[in-house]
Amino acid sequence: MPPKDNGSLCFGAPWERQAFGMALALAKQGVFEWDDFRSEMIATIGSWEAAHDLADPNWSYYDIWLTVLERMVASSGLRDNSVDG
Amino acid sequence: MERFNYSKDRETINAARARALESLLIEKGVITSDTVDKIMTIFETEMGPFNGAKLVARAWVDPEFKKLLGEDTMAAVEKMNFVTKGAGAEGEHMRAAINTPQVHNLIICTLCSCYPWPVLGLPPYWYKDPSFRARAAREPRKVLGEFGLNVHPDKEIKTWDSSAQIRWFVVPERPDGTDGFSEEQLAALVTPEAMMGVAIVKPPGQ
Repeated sequence: MPPKDNGSLCFGAPWERQAFGMALALAKQGVFEWDDFRSEMIATIGSWEAAHDLADPNWSYYDIWLTVLERMVASSGLRDNSVDG
Repeated sequence: MERFNYSKDRETINAARARALESLLIEKGVITSDTVDKIMTIFETEMGPFNGAKLVARAWVDPEFKKLLGEDTMAAVEKMNFVTKGAGAEGEHMRAAINTPQVHNLIICTLCSCYPWPVLGLPPYWYKDPSFRARAAREPRKVLGEFGLNVHPDKEIKTWDSSAQIRWFVVPERPDGTDGFSEEQLAALVTPEAMMGVAIVKPPGQ
């Protein structure tokens, strides 16, 4: 059982906050749909949990978040649209 | 030791990945260098447990409002005029689970980390932890005990699993010793943990 902590402590490192904020910004901009992002999170967390002990200390929620974010940006085609840009 | 090194490297690598992604998005003109800060400011000022505490306090002083909060949560939230726009879609479809002398409610998300951002802000890290999520669903009474909350054996514990469709929060019971308190005084007693159901609201001074 992880130690209890107040709800205000949400990010363990600046990159976690950065990854979180970027995902919200991109959903707001319509680069991807928020529901699609969440579905991808659910699927990726599900795969992690199927392959690991649930108490595995290497678990990192924002590691998965960042991976999903990179994947969503890649499949949005944003990276390749420099011709239009 | 090996594991420790792995984690340490991962932190450095992830920081670089996040930086690279942000640079790309700025270069593409999708975001600017202060976009993330602006979004996080919304969480600090407009969406957070301070909103949930106001809902709970109103429910404690106004039985009609409490009824509405239980039956049509979004209509009750609408009456509060919270600023919740512009930060993703996690505020739609929120539902309140109201504690009673017979029932204690606990919110979880077994799939990932769905959470009612506009009224509770962002979840603490343990809410997202795989073993917490699995165990809270399977043995809530034991897990609550580990949080220091020993629910009376006669009291039923209900767990509410948040999802894309419904994001739950708990309306705790009003503590003793608060007769004549204003809504503002009451709201100050309400903690995020109590609105997740891993704690109760203690009488003032305890």
